Amino acid sequence: MNKELEHQFVTELENNQNIVHKVCTLYTNNREAHNDLFQEITIQLWKAYPKFRSESKFSTWMYRVALNTAITLYRKSKRSIQTQDYESVIFKIKADEYDETEEQQLKLMYNAVKQLGDIDKALVFLYLEDKDYAEISETLGISEVNARVKMNRIKTKLRTILNP
Amino acid sequence: MMDELELLKKDWQKRDDQHPKLSYDEIHNMLWKKSSSIVKWILIISILEIILPNLLYLLPSMRDGLSIYENTAFNRYYLRVSIFYYAVLAYFIYLFYKRYREISVLDDAKSLMRKIIKTRRTVKYYVVFSLSMILVTVMMVLLGIYQNNDFMPLMEEMAQNGKDDIAPERLKMSLMVAVGILGVLMTLVIGAVYFLLYGLLLRKLKKNYHELKRLEV
Repeated sequence: MNKELEHQFVTELENNQNIVHKVCTLYTNNREAHNDLFQEITIQLWKAYPKFRSESKFSTWMYRVALNTAITLYRKSKRSIQTQDYESVIFKIKADEYDETEEQQLKLMYNAVKQLGDIDKALVFLYLEDKDYAEISETLGISEVNARVKMNRIKTKLRTILNP
Repeated sequence: MMDELELLKKDWQKRDDQHPKLSYDEIHNMLWKKSSSIVKWILIISILEIILPNLLYLLPSMRDGLSIYENTAFNRYYLRVSIFYYAVLAYFIYLFYKRYREISVLDDAKSLMRKIIKTRRTVKYYVVFSLSMILVTVMMVLLGIYQNNDFMPLMEEMAQNGKDDIAPERLKMSLMVAVGILGVLMTLVIGAVYFLLYGLLLRKLKKNYHELKRLEV
């Protein structure tokens, strides 16, 4: 690997690191696991980087590699212990920005999303990132119709978690 | 719920600046760290599984067992079986390598999982094959002992040296039973270790894969 490619890659990732952090936040429960997953995603991105052609946006390509790593390649997350402190840091709601009911509602929603399975989380993540069903279906390898069906089921599931 | 998820989306996008920020150097350092991905583990375990059954042939007891054939017609058969075994082994290694190379993190999630499972399945077939080969070898050793009388003087000597007066025929029978039990036990242990590793490693992946696959039905 030449130095120029290395520099180019690190700069791109530095600018787009939010995408990876968001995936790590959804799929891990403490800071240590977060950093561990971040590192694994970085390694996978770097390994795949020579195959990356600039015909697609760097960020688009990152979604796929990051989710593939979180769902399929990474396997330490199951062992990590849930620590509440970390979650509250990440999903801390600034009191002055929201009224109380909305704040409470959001907090519950975030917790409900964290309880979903790996695949469901991926769909919710792409939805929250404002990806359309075409992109969701391409990333996960399912048809667009099925992506919609799945998303509706997730909404039902979230409703059950929120109102048991 | 539709509205709640929309609300969450708005909030989610507002939080973009609240995530940790790693520096250029911190990211740069990560490039040289070792991956601990499932694919890497599959490669390591698969190589072990391919080497392990072959190492058994190097054990002194196995060699001794096989040396019984040196003066018998079984020698011929043993050679044929060996050639067959190594040909199949070479084919499995080729197939494994080919499938392993096809695994790409750039695939969609479902294809990636399917390719990993396929690669793993290649090794599974190999392990089943090599376990059956161990059983076949044990059978051959047993047949060799049964049909061969070259070492009967040795048996007689052993019987005489022993405190108990055991008939050579009985000693031969005991040897066959011992070899048989050992062979089956070895096969079971290797099989159990393999399926345990396999099960633990792919449990999460299989669950996710079936979830995606179920959708398509």
